[in-house]
Amino acid sequence: MIYQVSYVVIGGKHAGTIMNQEERPEVGERVEFAGETFEIIEVLEIIPPRGDFAYLHATCKPVEG
Amino acid sequence: MVSRDLLKQVSIFSGLSDEQLMRIANLCREVTHSKGDIIVREKESSSDLYIIREGTVEVALGTPSMPGPMPIIHLGKGQIFGEVALVDRGLRSATVNAMTDNTVLYAIGRDDFIKLCDEDTHIGYIVMGNIAADLSFKLRHYNLAWR
Repeated sequence: MIYQVSYVVIGGKHAGTIMNQEERPEVGERVEFAGETFEIIEVLEIIPPRGDFAYLHATCKPVEG
Repeated sequence: MVSRDLLKQVSIFSGLSDEQLMRIANLCREVTHSKGDIIVREKESSSDLYIIREGTVEVALGTPSMPGPMPIIHLGKGQIFGEVALVDRGLRSATVNAMTDNTVLYAIGRDDFIKLCDEDTHIGYIVMGNIAADLSFKLRHYNLAWR
C-alpha cells in the first residue's frame, strides 16, 4: 500500500505538504519535511482507498527546540 | 525511457494495465530543476502535466496585499501538479518552484495526453477519475488547513 498523506501544520506558518510514503503515519510519531520536524497529533482517513493507494490527512505541530 | 514501475507509484495512474502504463511512459519527458527554479508561473499559459520523481516543489499564489507569491503547499515525490490547466485549459493557477536541487520531474504534454485518452478511452476514464480524486484530496487539505 502507498500512503498519500496531506500534512497540515498548526501553530506555525508552514504551508503544509502532500507526499507519498510506504508507512502509515501514526499519532505521536515525528515527521520531517521542508527541513523541520513535526509531531503528528491527528490522522484522518476521509477518502476510502483506491487501488494500491490510501489517502490520509495528518495534523501536526512543530516540535519545539 | 520512464519505467512503468515508477508510474505505478503515482496515484493518477492507479488502475491501468502494464500495457497502458507503457503508453503513458512513452509520453513522459524527464526534466531536472535546481533549487529556486520556477517551473511554472501563475497566470502564464503552458500545458504540461508534471509528476514529481524526486525532490520537493512549492506551490504559491500571488495576493494583492503581498509583494511576492504566498506558499500554500509543498508537494513531494509521487505528487502531480499542472492538472488544473490540463483539465480546464486555462492559465496557470499558481507558481511552482523547485525547493531542492536535483528536482526530477516527468512532464506530459496536454495535447499528447488528450490524444492518448481519445485513442484509448479506458485510459481516459481511469486517469480523469483519478485526477478528479486528486483534486478532491487537495481541496480537502485546504479545508482542513482552515479549521
